[in-house]
Amino acid sequence: MTVDVLPILPLVPVATGLAMLAVKDRRLLAAIDLAGSLVVLALVIAVAHSVGEEGSLSAGPLRADAVTIPFLLLIGGLAVPTSLYTVGWMKGELASGGMKPGALRFYYALVHAFIATMLVTVLADNLGVLWIAMEGTTITSAILVGFHGHRDGLEAAWKYIIVTTIGISLGLFGTVLIYAAAAAAQGGSPAGAMSWHVVSAMADRLDPGIVRIGFIFVMVGYGTKAGLAPVHRWLPDAHSQAPTPVSALLSGALIKCALYGIIRFHTIARGACGPELSEDLFLLFGVASVVVATPFILAQHDLKRLLAYSSVEHVGIAALGLGFGGRIGTYGALLHVVNHGVTKALVFFGAGSAIGRYRSRDITAIRGLLGAAPWIGTLFFLGTFALAGLPPFSVFISELTVVRAGIGSGHVVSVGVVLLMLVVVFAGLMFHAGRMVFGSAPSSVAERGPEPRTCVLAMLLCAAIMLLCGLLLPPVLDGILARATEVILG
Amino acid sequence: MSDALATTLIDDIGALLLFTMILILGAGQLYRAIYAVAAQSVFIGIAGAVLGAATGNPDLWVIAGITIAIKAIFLPWLLLRVVKRVGIRLEIEPVIPISVTLVIAAIIVVLSFYLAASLGTVRQAITGNALPVGVALMLLGVLVMVSRRKALTQMVGLFASENGIFFTAMAVSQGMPLIIEIGVILDVILGALVMGILVLRVRSSVDADIADLDQLRG
Repeated sequence: MTVDVLPILPLVPVATGLAMLAVKDRRLLAAIDLAGSLVVLALVIAVAHSVGEEGSLSAGPLRADAVTIPFLLLIGGLAVPTSLYTVGWMKGELASGGMKPGALRFYYALVHAFIATMLVTVLADNLGVLWIAMEGTTITSAILVGFHGHRDGLEAAWKYIIVTTIGISLGLFGTVLIYAAAAAAQGGSPAGAMSWHVVSAMADRLDPGIVRIGFIFVMVGYGTKAGLAPVHRWLPDAHSQAPTPVSALLSGALIKCALYGIIRFHTIARGACGPELSEDLFLLFGVASVVVATPFILAQHDLKRLLAYSSVEHVGIAALGLGFGGRIGTYGALLHVVNHGVTKALVFFGAGSAIGRYRSRDITAIRGLLGAAPWIGTLFFLGTFALAGLPPFSVFISELTVVRAGIGSGHVVSVGVVLLMLVVVFAGLMFHAGRMVFGSAPSSVAERGPEPRTCVLAMLLCAAIMLLCGLLLPPVLDGILARATEVILG
Repeated sequence: MSDALATTLIDDIGALLLFTMILILGAGQLYRAIYAVAAQSVFIGIAGAVLGAATGNPDLWVIAGITIAIKAIFLPWLLLRVVKRVGIRLEIEPVIPISVTLVIAAIIVVLSFYLAASLGTVRQAITGNALPVGVALMLLGVLVMVSRRKALTQMVGLFASENGIFFTAMAVSQGMPLIIEIGVILDVILGALVMGILVLRVRSSVDADIADLDQLRG
C-alpha cells in the first residue's frame, strides 16, 4: 500500500492545479490551495514514514530513499505555510492592484505545477527524469517570476529562464556523459544506466576520466540553478522580483532541489574518482558564494534583494558542508538546507508584508515595523536574527556543524575566510533589520489596518520549526539526516 | 549498416554540424542564423536515422523524426513568427566582433577534440567523433548566447547548444531511452514558448528588446 503513495504524491498538485483552472471564486481558490498543500504534506509524511521503516521505496522512474526525505519534507513543509500566507497576502495585492482578479486561477495553478515539478525532481530515480523535472521547475517558476508583468519582473524572468536553461543544459550534458560511462561499464547495455541507484551501486567500475568531466558539467550546470557563485547572477533578480510566496518557495525549496541533484552525482563521482574532485569543487563554489554575497548584503537598498543575496550566502554554506565532507560536514549541509529553507521562508513572508504595508521595497523607507505591525515585526526580527546565525536558532546549529567539519578536516583557510564573512554579514543584517523594525512608522503606515491573521499564522509556523530545530533537534529529524548522510557517503 | 560505415557517416555529419555552427556564429542577420540552426537540426535528425539503422534500435528513428519535426521545423517557424510580430531590425548586434568570436570558436573546437582524445576506454561507448563535436557545439552555443545582444539570437544559441547535447546523447551506445528524449524535447518546446511570450510581452509594453533591459543591478 505504501508503495502506491509514491506516484500519487506528484499527481496531487497537478490535479489541484488543473481543478483550480475551472474556479474563479477567490475564496474557493485559496481554500483549494491550502487543501492541496495539506494533502501534499500528509503524503510526504507518509512517504517519510515508510522510507524510515523500509529504507527505500520505488515505483517506476520514481524512488524515495533517505536522501530524498529531508528535501521532500522541506517542499511539503513550506507548501503549507506558503498557502496560508498567500491568503492574507493576496488580499493586499488585490487591493493595491498588484494582482488582477482574472489572473488569480492561473497564478494558483502555476504555483501547484511548480510544486509538482519540484516533487518529481527529488523523487526521480532516473537521472534523465530528474533533469526534465528540474527544467520544468524553471519553466513554471519563470512565468511566476514575471507574473506581475511589469518591466523589472519581465527582465528578471528573462534572465532567469535563459541563464538557468543554458546552465542546466550543461547539467544534461554531464548526465549524458555519466550515462555513457555507465553503459560502457555494463558492456554497452543501456538498461538501467540512467537509474541513480543502479549507477551509484556500480560507481567504482565507471571510467574515472569521463565521470570527472561529467561531474564538472553537472556541478556548473545544476550549480547555476542552485545559485552558487560565480554562476548566481540570475538569482537576486528572480528571487526579488517574484511574488513574495513564490520568492519563499524559490529561496526555501527550489535552489535546494538543484543542490539535491548535485548531491546525487556527488555520490557517483565519489565512487568513481574518489572524494577529492567533488569535494574540492563544492569548496570552491561554497567559498565563492559566501564571499561574493557578503558585500551585496552590506550595501543593499532593496529588501528582497538583500534576502536573495543571503540565499546565495547560505547555499554556499551548505555547499561548504559537502565540500568539507565526512559525516559531520555532510550532515551539517543537509541540516543547513532544512534550517535555511524554513528561516528564509519566514523572513521573506515578513519582508513581503512589510513591503505591502510601506508600499516600498527600499530598506531606508521601512521604519518602525514593530510599532506598525507588532506580530509580523517581531517574527521578522527573530527570523533575521536566525539568518544572521545567532543562537538559539536552528541556522546557528547547522553553521556550527559545518564549521566544525571544516576545522576537523583541516581546511583552516576556508573556515577562517567564511567565519570572517559570517561576522560581517551578521553585523550588516543586524544593522539593516534594526533600522527597519525600530523607530516610529510614518502615520500613513500605522493606520493601514490590522495584520492579516493567516500571514501571522504562517510566520508563526515557520518560527516554531526554526526554534524547535535550534533548541532541541527532534530525534526524528536527526535520524533521517543521519541515514541520508550514510547514503550520500555510500 | 556496418559499424564502420556508421562511424564514417557520423563523423561526416559531425563536420557538417560544425559547419552550420560556424554559419550561425558568422551570421550578420538574424534570419540566416535561424535557417542555419534549422539546417543543423536536420543533420541531427539524419544522424539519428543513421544510428537507428546501425544499431537496429527503432527508438532512434522515432527520435530522428521528432527532432526534425520540432527542432528543424516548429522552433525555427516559431522564431520567424516572433521576428515578424515584433518587426525588429534584422541585423545581429554582436557584443564582441564576429571575427573575434570565430577565433574563440576555433580554439573551443580544438580544445574539445583534445579533451575527448584524452579520454580512454569510454570512447568506445560513443560512436565516432560524436563526443568532441557535441562538446564543441554545446560550448559554441553558449558562446553565441554570451556574445550576441538580441533575445532571439540568444534563443538560437540555446537551440544550437541543445543540438550538441542531442548529438552526443544519440551516439551513446543505443541512444538515450525514448521517454527521456521525449521529455527533454517537451521541455525545450515549453521553454521556447515561454521565452517567446516574454519577448513579445516586453515588446508590446515597453518597446525594447528583453535582453537589453538592465535596470536590475547590485
